[in-house]
Amino acid sequence: MTRSAGRSVPRSDARAKVTGEAKYAVDASRPEMLHATIVRSDRAHALIKDIDTAEAAAIPGVSAVITSDDLDGLFPRFGHIVADHPILAIDRVRYYGEPVAMVLAASRHTAADAARLVRVSYEGLPEVMSIAAALEEGAPLLHEERYDHGDESFGEAMSDDWSPSNIAHEVCLEWGDVDAAFTDATEIVETTTHYPMLYAYAMEPYNALATFDEGALEVITTAQHPYQVREDLARIFDLPLAAVRVTSPFLGGGYGSKSYTKVEPLAAVGAWFSRRPVKLALDVEEAIYTTRADSATVTVKSAFGADGMLTARDFQLDLDSGAYADNGPLVLAKAVHRCFGPYRIPNLRVRGRSFYTNTTPASSYRGFGAPQGNLAGELNMDQAAERLGIDPGEIRRRNLLLPGEEVLPGARPLDADLPADLEMVLESLDSSRPRGPLHGIGFGASASDAGAFPVSTATIKVHADGSVTLLTGSTEMGQGSQTALAQIAATELGVPLGSVRVLQSDTAITPYERTTGASRTTTLTGLAIQRACADALEKMMAMVSESREVPVEDVKTSDGVISIPGGGDLTFAEAVQDWFGSRAGEVTGVGIVRKADSTAMLPPFWEIGMVGVEVSVDAETGYVTVDHLATVGDVGYAINPALVEGQDLGAATQGLGAALFEQLIYDGPQPLNPNVVDYRVPRSRDVPRTIDTMLAERRDGVGPYGAKGSGEGALNPIGGAVAAAVGRAIGRWPDRLPLTPEYVWRLMHMETEAE
Amino acid sequence: MSVLPPFELHRPTSIEEVVELISWDDLPYVGGTELLLAMRAGLLNPRSLIDLKGVAEITGVRAHNGAVRIGAAVTHQQAATTEVISEKLPELPPVLLHVGNPRVRWSGTLAGNLCFAEPKSDVIPFLIALDATVTLVSADGSREMSVREFIIGPYFTARTEHELLAWIDIPVVPGRRGTYLKYQVMERPTVGVAAVRLDEGDSTITRVVVGAAGEVPVVHDVDHAHPDRSAVATAVVDALEPIDDLTGSSDYKRHVTAVYVERALEKLERM
Amino acid sequence: MTIRTVVNGRPVTEPIPVRWTLAEFVRDRLGLTGTKLSCGMQVCGVCTVLVDGRPVSACSYLAVDVDGCEVTTIEGLADAGSLHPIQAAFVDHFALQCGFCTPGFIMMAKSLLDENPRPTRKDVVDYLDGNICRCTGYQPIIDAIVDASERMTP
Ligand SMILES: Cc1cc2nc3c(=O)[nH]c(=O)nc-3n(C[C@@H](O)[C@@H](O)[C@H](O)COP(=O)(O)OP(=O)(O)OC[C@H]3O[C@@H](n4cnc5c(N)ncnc54)[C@H](O)[C@@H]3O)c2cc1C
Ligand code: FES
Ligand code: FES
Repeated sequence: MTRSAGRSVPRSDARAKVTGEAKYAVDASRPEMLHATIVRSDRAHALIKDIDTAEAAAIPGVSAVITSDDLDGLFPRFGHIVADHPILAIDRVRYYGEPVAMVLAASRHTAADAARLVRVSYEGLPEVMSIAAALEEGAPLLHEERYDHGDESFGEAMSDDWSPSNIAHEVCLEWGDVDAAFTDATEIVETTTHYPMLYAYAMEPYNALATFDEGALEVITTAQHPYQVREDLARIFDLPLAAVRVTSPFLGGGYGSKSYTKVEPLAAVGAWFSRRPVKLALDVEEAIYTTRADSATVTVKSAFGADGMLTARDFQLDLDSGAYADNGPLVLAKAVHRCFGPYRIPNLRVRGRSFYTNTTPASSYRGFGAPQGNLAGELNMDQAAERLGIDPGEIRRRNLLLPGEEVLPGARPLDADLPADLEMVLESLDSSRPRGPLHGIGFGASASDAGAFPVSTATIKVHADGSVTLLTGSTEMGQGSQTALAQIAATELGVPLGSVRVLQSDTAITPYERTTGASRTTTLTGLAIQRACADALEKMMAMVSESREVPVEDVKTSDGVISIPGGGDLTFAEAVQDWFGSRAGEVTGVGIVRKADSTAMLPPFWEIGMVGVEVSVDAETGYVTVDHLATVGDVGYAINPALVEGQDLGAATQGLGAALFEQLIYDGPQPLNPNVVDYRVPRSRDVPRTIDTMLAERRDGVGPYGAKGSGEGALNPIGGAVAAAVGRAIGRWPDRLPLTPEYVWRLMHMETEAE
Repeated sequence: MSVLPPFELHRPTSIEEVVELISWDDLPYVGGTELLLAMRAGLLNPRSLIDLKGVAEITGVRAHNGAVRIGAAVTHQQAATTEVISEKLPELPPVLLHVGNPRVRWSGTLAGNLCFAEPKSDVIPFLIALDATVTLVSADGSREMSVREFIIGPYFTARTEHELLAWIDIPVVPGRRGTYLKYQVMERPTVGVAAVRLDEGDSTITRVVVGAAGEVPVVHDVDHAHPDRSAVATAVVDALEPIDDLTGSSDYKRHVTAVYVERALEKLERM
Repeated sequence: MTIRTVVNGRPVTEPIPVRWTLAEFVRDRLGLTGTKLSCGMQVCGVCTVLVDGRPVSACSYLAVDVDGCEVTTIEGLADAGSLHPIQAAFVDHFALQCGFCTPGFIMMAKSLLDENPRPTRKDVVDYLDGNICRCTGYQPIIDAIVDASERMTP
């Protein structure tokens, strides 16, 4: 039998998805369900003076109009790190679009009609719309209160000398003697860049369907991490985890933006209040008011010796994180870890701050803080190469970490061969070929401490007919986990892929999975599945030993068959049926991954980004065309190569969006472009002319067969690569994304002395 | 997902019925490609919609009096693929086939485009360049005016409360050459340039109409078959009053307008 | 208002409120949830269905406007359980990830290939200008449609 792992087998969800049969959360409905519409703030910062719901409540078909006053007896906030996010605004709104009230009605139309009639009166407060404004002397404070910390590792704000500030979080990292290194440096290169505010635009906007039944809560939702959402919900309603069931069906995109709790508390509060199932489905504009990604201003100063070797780097990262914490603290921490690049840096200082502003709360988005810092870090390397007269490939060759070297003190040593990856990109770009005017190449690298905290469990059931069910709490959001995880199970058990069915992300049924993010699924869930398969095999061998009365050490298994001495081969079905003594029963294998053994050391793996682009610039308009895109998927081992290439191209394309077009723009208190007409994402005509998605399989990861994760890597260094390519094409270094035609045109025509 | 506000629906089958109903509160529609979005966004809240698709008099395209007459219910796609148009107005289909996307082209009409008077329309500058006229019908009679006069400002036309735009007439001029180039990064263009050359007796006129960059189209005529491109570009840019928006700052719009006027004229010269 | 229409070959007569969009009608009334909703502004194409063979954005199209017409949704494409060649090509080319955009792309591809059985790659790219995929980077989708056209008209 051909082994399943390592082959580009078709996606197991493809058929359901091409026929329209695939069910997403938004497709779920319940008899008697009510529809919710949210009344949102049209102020960025204001005190709520009054909410007049009478007119709305009087509309026939309206069941209830709920405000935060109606949440008596509940914990009225959520937030897995800092519980600062009110379910419905409490006395005050902190950003345009914040939920203020919720209308429940028999139809979506009635709920929407009634929502238009809810009158909210406000008393305006001064707004903080930028980092600069947040830092001003006497700036208005967004939060004066100390909230509970869900995650103790971010408990520093709990310390006694805490005082209210618009600096939401600070994370610093330092080793060596940075100041001395700068004093001794041959060359010091400083770069400041600005990374735009982004919206992930997962095409299925956030939605949830909640039901309260006999003291238990059930929510079908667009959550990447149903287990994390479960915790927030349990706290709100003071329920045991067992009484909260969160299910995530297929997700219409996630990319990090569906990490952690979003609309679930609203739907659940509606169901709790009305005792009816409640469906809340946002539109894109509302989704933009729910989460975005951090914009950032990053300054990096690097010290080099005459040989082009880095001697020190000093980073200052300022992230605009919006009105509430959400996952912002973790994004900041990751940005700090990921900015300085996969380079050997004897002396390092990184100071990161994230700020509260009166804007949509920022949270995770593919790359998780990496793209923001990488843009500055990599452009800085390119500028240094120019200054030192070294080829940009060469300066990286000299400084890139080698396999086994330390990236972060005390962390897992580097499990990848970056110089080899770099050569693949340079070759794909044909980097030494001279380019015509207005053509340029750029490339860059990143290494992210990926995988998140390792807690994964998996269950394998071998049924009486030999077919297999794989239960996992990892969510299928497009990455193809349903397929790749089945490939691992089929390979481990030695059964055909077709006999494995996968059930995912139902907290009442599937085993615990901490998150589906940080590119961890193949590695960590994959390991848990390997262990679950081993457990199931061991149990079956023990059963055969018992029913056939042979010593257990004489029982062997391979290729889906259990063999005993004397040539007796049993299928799994026979093994199970024999032992149970009828055509019944099943064998359950359990696999657990925690911070122990091969995953004792964090991060579970380093996720590598290595990309290159060639661009051309229109001399008259500044329009940038991407002629060539090269990515290296340094994944250790590709369980399904086509899926990995798909992740790389998808991630790179989103990165190109941020590099060239995407940015959420605030015009005063309100976003100017909260829709897909004005927030420009890549389209079919933007596809690079040549695409080269390469794989580097060196079996150097901790995951199954040496696998490591992918999914974010190809996005992280794209921005810097495009900026460098454009910089070379026009002879001026950009200092911000997106590289809109107008911005590039302005750069081209900037007076030299203005530089 | 946001929903449409409530409204009533009328399905008249004749122009007489339509003009009985039409008002600022009772809006005609065909594709609704602009109207329904505006209603959902809360910008328009009509009492009723009047579906024009059942009005036979305005559903077709035909040759009429030296012109091609396009009924108000004719969609971009339908017009672009009608034989009369490919024969008599071959310059039009390429423009229509670059409106929005196929779904918008299948539903949206030229008449709806003119009546909505979106400043970033592609259709408006091109129809101005072709000297097209519109016929407005009300219970009191009808009147004809040029598209140039019809478009007064952004989202603002010469149509009065009880008038229906019944059809568009585009004169068929032998030997006329026309092209349209747009510079588009966002969903709507930064600038659109129509360039047309036609013989008028002894002289040849080159006309440039620029849309999208400013609030209203800029029209510039030169009495020459091959005018100096940069002079025309300068004159057009001087007349342009661009505003800053997401498609570009006013400076940038002036710059790319000049670039695209030159590119359009260059293309026209080769035609 | 009562509308009479044929949806995926099945005659349907239903009373509906006039303000319902075609998407609301097929999803909420007929339970055909393969038609998705996202931008609500005619730009992303996830809601594409065919009305008398023409592609429309069901998010921004009145349900009453299909009175007397034939409607085809993604559910109407596979023939007695066997995939339409476009669907098969999407599977083979990994032309989907999350799959939320997929029904819309397939319906647009159907409309394109009905109109133009052997499009060039550029024809395909241009035709898909009103469809967004946030996952795949488009290339596999374009490959799938070109391949489907070859499979359908060898
Ligand atoms: C995604 C998208 C992309 C687009 N891209 C482009 C583009 O690239 N270029 C471009 O030019 N346009 C573009 N458009 C605009 C497009 O909507 C119009 O071109 C369309 O043709 C309008 O026609 P309609 O029948 O849909 O008008 P409707 O929306 O039905 O009507 C528009 C307005 O005109 C009124 N009206 C309609 N017909 C009449 C009449 N006969 N008499 C009186 N009043 C009338 C209506 O009451 C309404 O107020 C785009 C639209 C969308 C949604
Ligand atoms: S939802 Fe209809 S086009 Fe986007
Ligand atoms: S496959 Fe996810 S949006 Fe296209």
